[in-house]
Amino acid sequence: MSGKYASDPTWASVEPIPLNDGSETGTLPLATIAYSDEYLEATSYLRAVMAANEMSDRALKLTDDVIAMNPAHYTVWHYRVKNLFALKKDLTEEFEWLNKMSLKYLKNYQIWHHRQVLMSSRENFPTLPPNELDFLMKMFKQDAKNYHVWTYRHWLVRHFRLWDEPREIQDVDLLLSQDVRNNSAWNHRFMLRFGPRSDEPDGGMPNSTAPPPEKGRLAVVDEDLVDAELEYAKAKVIKAPENRSPWGFARGVLRASGRPLSEWKDFAKKFVQDKVEDGKVVDVEVKSSHAVEWLADTYGEEGELATAEAVRMFTLLKEKYDPIRKNYWDYRIRMIAPATWSQEIPTSA
Amino acid sequence: MTEAVFQKERHIKYFLRCLKTFLPSLYTSNDSNRVLLAYFTVAGLDLLGELYNKTTSEERQGYVEWIYHCQVPSGGFRGFTGTDFGSERRTPENEAWDPANIPSTFFALVILLILGDDLSRVKRTECLQWLSKMQRENGSFGEVLGTEGKIEGGGDLRFCCFGAGTRYILRGKCGDGLEGIMDIDVDKLVAFIEACQAYDGGIGEGPFCESHSGHTYCAIGALTFLDRLSKNHKPIALLSPKTGPFESLVRWLVTRQTCELGDDEEESDEEDGHGVDEIGPLSATVEEPSLDTKVDQLPVVPPETEDSLRWAGFNGRCNKYADTCYSFWNTASLNMMNRLTLVDATRNRRYLLEKTQHIVGGFGKGVGEPPDLLHSYFGLVSLAFQGEPGLESVDPALCASQRAVRHLHSLPWWQETKR
Ligand SMILES: [Zn+2]
Repeated sequence: MSGKYASDPTWASVEPIPLNDGSETGTLPLATIAYSDEYLEATSYLRAVMAANEMSDRALKLTDDVIAMNPAHYTVWHYRVKNLFALKKDLTEEFEWLNKMSLKYLKNYQIWHHRQVLMSSRENFPTLPPNELDFLMKMFKQDAKNYHVWTYRHWLVRHFRLWDEPREIQDVDLLLSQDVRNNSAWNHRFMLRFGPRSDEPDGGMPNSTAPPPEKGRLAVVDEDLVDAELEYAKAKVIKAPENRSPWGFARGVLRASGRPLSEWKDFAKKFVQDKVEDGKVVDVEVKSSHAVEWLADTYGEEGELATAEAVRMFTLLKEKYDPIRKNYWDYRIRMIAPATWSQEIPTSA
Repeated sequence: MTEAVFQKERHIKYFLRCLKTFLPSLYTSNDSNRVLLAYFTVAGLDLLGELYNKTTSEERQGYVEWIYHCQVPSGGFRGFTGTDFGSERRTPENEAWDPANIPSTFFALVILLILGDDLSRVKRTECLQWLSKMQRENGSFGEVLGTEGKIEGGGDLRFCCFGAGTRYILRGKCGDGLEGIMDIDVDKLVAFIEACQAYDGGIGEGPFCESHSGHTYCAIGALTFLDRLSKNHKPIALLSPKTGPFESLVRWLVTRQTCELGDDEEESDEEDGHGVDEIGPLSATVEEPSLDTKVDQLPVVPPETEDSLRWAGFNGRCNKYADTCYSFWNTASLNMMNRLTLVDATRNRRYLLEKTQHIVGGFGKGVGEPPDLLHSYFGLVSLAFQGEPGLESVDPALCASQRAVRHLHSLPWWQETKR
C-alpha cells in the first residue's frame, strides 16, 4: 500500500492490520460499503495501535483522521479519551478541535458524549469554563432544537449546579423570543424550574417512584413560582394560540404542583366563545384548538354533570379543528360517556 | 385524486441492490453500524416476502457465517468487523477496543432468527453474563464495556431497549440452562424508564429530557420485552390502560401525527408568531393592553379542510416536521400499547406513498429526499402495521416478521414443557 501512513516515517515501525471481513473463512459479508483507500488505510493503522494499546501523539493524531471520516465509530472516541488523559494533554486544545467538529457534524451523538466525558473531569474543570455556554448558543444558532446539545446542557446544569444561575433562564427566554415554538427550550425551562436538585439518584420527574397520582408531584411547592410560570405561559399562548408547547408546559406545571386543570378554565374559555341566539348556541368561535382540548379535559374531570360539555368539546375537535385525530377523540368520548357512544352506533345495518 | 400505490417491485429491487452490491461510500460514516444496516436489508426483504426467493440457501448460510464472525470471544456481538484485530492478538489489556455492543448484539440475533439459524453457536451464557455487567446503578444500560470494566456510552433508552431485547431472546420463557447466571435488575430498569416520562406525557432520552418518539419507542419496547417474560410481576403503569402515565403517553403519541411536512409550500404557510416576537415600534410607550383585549384581537382559527389534511405523517417531537421514520417510532409504540387504531392510517399511508416513497424504490426521510436503508425499512414496517397488502405482518417489539418470531419461540429455551 502506498497511502499517507505507509509512506510516513513516523509510522514505519507499525505493521497495519487489514480489515478482516471474514471472506477468507467462507462468510458472505452484509452491508458492505465502498470504502475509500484513505479510510481503509487509516483504520488498519488504528487496529494496530489499539491492539498494541499504544498511547502516543501519533495515535491521537490518527484518531483525528478516523473520526473525520467516521464520527460514529464507537471505540475510537473512548480510545481518544484514554490517550488524552494518559498523555496529560491540554484539554483547552481538545475543546477547540471538538468545537470545530461539532459545528461540522451537527447530528452526531458521540461528539457530545465525548464532550461530557471530558467536562466531567473535576481535575480539569472544577467550575464551568467561561465560554462553554456561548458555544452552546452558537450551536443553537445552527439548530435551536438540537437534541444532543440540549441533553448536554441539561447534564451541565446538574453537574455544575446551575439551576439558579441567571444565564440559564436568560438563554431560554432569548430562544423562546426567537421562536416561541421551540419545545426544547420549553422543556429546559421546566427542568430549571421544577427539576430535582439532588445529586443522586439521577433525578427523574418529581417523586418519580411514587404511584400515580403522586408521581410527578413536587414534595414542596413554591406557589409564587408556579403562579409566575403560569403567567409566563399565558403570555406566550397569546403570541401563538395554536402553539402546543406552552399549553403542555402549563399542564406540566399544574400537575407538578398538584393543582387542577380547572385553574385555566376561564383562560381557555376566552379562546372558545359560544355564539348564542335566542338562548341557543348556534356556533362556536374558536381561537385555539388547544383551548378546546383543555376545556374538554376540564369538563371531563368535573364529573357527570359536565360530561355533555366535554363531549361537545371533543366533538368540535373531531369534526372541525383536529379531524386527523378523529379516532382519538372518539376514544376519549367513549371513555367519559360510554352511554352516549353506544347510542350513536347504528344498531342495524 | 387516484389512490396511492405501493411500489412493491421497486422496493424489492432497492433492498436487493443494498444486499448484493456495495453501499455507496457515503455510508462510511455509518460503518460502525454495519450490523444495523445488515438488519434493515435482510429484514426488509423478509417483510417483502422475498428473502427466501431471491437468495440461495448458500448465500443465506454465508450471511449467517458473517454474523457469527461479528461475535466477540467473550460473548455479544460487535457492530462491525472494523474493530476486530484478530483473536490471536486479543488480551485483557486491549479487548476494550474491540468490545461487544448492546444494540448490535440485539440486531445480530434478530438477523440470525430471520435467516432461520437456531442460535446454537451464540455464546448464550457468556452474553447474558456480559449483559448484567452492562447495567448501571441507576438501572439504565451502557453501550459497551470499556477499560477496567467501566460501562461506556450515554445513559439513553436505546441501550435499555436492546439490552432488554437481548435478554428476551436469550433467556426465553423458562430460562433453561441458565441456573446461576445473574439476571439484570428488572425493577431498577423499569423505575429508570418510568422516570424518563416527561411533563407532557412523552418519553425523553433520560429523566427531564425532552419527549422524543425514538426514545419513547425504546422505552415501550424495553417494557414490552420485560413484561412478556415476567409471570407474576407487578403491573407496569406505562403499559396499563386507564392509568395517568399510559393515557398521557397515548395522547402524546397520537399528537405526533401532523400535516406539517416541511416541504416548501408548507413553510410559507406559517401563521402566528413563528420567528422573532413582533413587538411594534410603539408598544414600549403605549400601555400594555389587557389579556382580554389581546385575545379579542386574535384571529379565529379556520376549521380544517380535506385539502389541508390530505397527507399526515408523524413528527418525533412537538413542533417539528414529519419524517418517514417517525411514522414507525410512533405507530410501533402505539401498537405495543394496543392503541394503533387511534391514528389516521389512511393519511399516514398517503404521506408515505405519495410523499416519501422514492421512484427507484425505498423511502426517503422527508419529501423529495433520496432513499436510505433506515427510512426505507421503517417506511415498510409502518405500512405493514396498517396491513398493507404484499407485506408480512410484523411484531412491533422485535421489529421482525411474525414468522421470525415463531421461529424464536420454537427454540429449546422457549419450551415450557419441563418442570
Ligand atoms: Zn428519520
